[in-house]
Amino acid sequence: MSRPSSFSLRGRKALVAIKDERDATIVRRQFERLGIEGVAWTPAEPVGFTPDLSLIDDEFLPLLQPAQRASLARSPVIALLGTETPSRLKLVFELDPASFLIKPLRSAGIYAALVMAFERSERTSELKQQILKLEHRLKSRRVVLAAVLQVMHLHALAEPAAFALIRKAAMEQRKTIEELSAEITAKGMLPRAAG
Amino acid sequence: MTKPSVPVGIICSQSGPYQAMGREILKSAMMAVDEINNHAEFEFAIAPHIRDPRGIVSEYHTVCDDLIRNVGVKHIIGCYTSASRKQVLPIVERTDRLLWYPARYEGFECSDNVMYVGASPNHNVLPLVRYVLDNLSREIFCVGSNYVWTWETNRVTRELVSAADGHILAERLLELGESAVGHIVEEIVRRKPPIVFNTLVGSSSYDFIRAFHAGTKAAGLQIPMLSCSLCEPELAIVGPASAGCITSSAYFESIRLPENRAFVARWKARYGEESSPSVDGQSAYVAVYLLARALQRAATSDIAEVRRAAAGYRYNSPQGPVWIDGGNNHCVLTPRLAVSNPQGQFDIFWEADAPVKPDPYLTQLDVAVSPLRDASAGVLPNAPHLRVVK
Repeated sequence: MSRPSSFSLRGRKALVAIKDERDATIVRRQFERLGIEGVAWTPAEPVGFTPDLSLIDDEFLPLLQPAQRASLARSPVIALLGTETPSRLKLVFELDPASFLIKPLRSAGIYAALVMAFERSERTSELKQQILKLEHRLKSRRVVLAAVLQVMHLHALAEPAAFALIRKAAMEQRKTIEELSAEITAKGMLPRAAG
Repeated sequence: MTKPSVPVGIICSQSGPYQAMGREILKSAMMAVDEINNHAEFEFAIAPHIRDPRGIVSEYHTVCDDLIRNVGVKHIIGCYTSASRKQVLPIVERTDRLLWYPARYEGFECSDNVMYVGASPNHNVLPLVRYVLDNLSREIFCVGSNYVWTWETNRVTRELVSAADGHILAERLLELGESAVGHIVEEIVRRKPPIVFNTLVGSSSYDFIRAFHAGTKAAGLQIPMLSCSLCEPELAIVGPASAGCITSSAYFESIRLPENRAFVARWKARYGEESSPSVDGQSAYVAVYLLARALQRAATSDIAEVRRAAAGYRYNSPQGPVWIDGGNNHCVLTPRLAVSNPQGQFDIFWEADAPVKPDPYLTQLDVAVSPLRDASAGVLPNAPHLRVVK
């Protein structure tokens, strides 16, 4: 069984929006060395595929169509900066870039920017998942609190003992505390384990 | 009639921690320069301007700046470590000059202003580690100089070893020029690893090999050592302790090619019967010839023209056929594996069946496939990747 090296970018497909032909040539040459397929794009065209990554020249900013911005947001974006002025940087922020390169481009820096963009994107995705999970748990706290109060009242227990009872029952029934709490509040009692 | 001359800078350290290699590079480069200047085939003479940065990293920037600003060279041959190359890189890029870099290096660079004549990581580290995994052990103890060559070599080694369910037992690093190696040898003797991979350079490596040999011999141990850089002049410096080192290289003095026999004969006539060319020296010799032939074909020293003329132009060098891959400015060459013998030479036991394309970013690396079974990495797709050399 074979698999590419973890730092190999072979087989990736990138959307490339670059105005200057010299910069575009440097990216093309570097992509060939790295085994990446680059597809040239301008904001006047629809995005006809799902790229693994996008290189967007700041000359093309702002992207006026919300659909374009949404399309680019699905994969990491590398911004190509011609100037470091705050006004230009503000436009670049709209792309939520995972990395950047300074124009005029050199071959040096492109590989590092790509690797960083993929890594940043993966970590950001993990963080987003974590946030979603935490938000869900935060919302469930009200239900957990209600279930604890109910168990305290039904079994004449203090709060730590009531919570411990719920946690034990959740573990026995292979459910989350939030799921079991929802059942307690719905049924008005601690559900028995099936089987 | 006097031939017109082309000024060429030569940067190599004649003192400092890797002076031995710097001297070898200079000797080989000057041998090539003299041959070219005395050969009717070339319509010009190379005027060498030699600079010695003394192994001081910041000095490489200074001498390169001097060569470009004050001498006006367009082409520079030299640098040994990656740290030295990185010092020169910004100047040659800014002034659009061409550095012909002879040493093998760790890859992950591709400047339009550098011709990488030495081995890429797929030429040296990969065949060596895969040979070890297939034939010797899946556990490796790494010792190296604390700089980018070792860091990246160890990273690739770890990736290959992990994919084979093996382990890196240790990574021990020493500063360049460090000679206090006793504690590492003591650890090796205590832990008895099946293999030691030595990526130390210069005097640190020589001290380590001697101490390793003495320490393991006293303990009654036989632990094979690996290297991607050891060469014949270093075997002579280290002495009998250097025997038995499994080494990956594109060049050994023992290569049985007519071009190499003639090269070695010329070398010995010039530098003495006891003297031996080295891999980096031979690479500097190749670099001068690749430059000279490109200058001849381009009929100008203009960088863009010379680069174009050099790309794909095959040269039957002492190490065999080589040429510059126009896609990445790295050299296509033939990887080899050998073991050092008590006579200060290498016995070659493997070599690629055909010259292998350089892959500086290891884009084609599949970590779970041995090149012994994978033909896709070679230039000749149907040829077995490696063959035994008898």
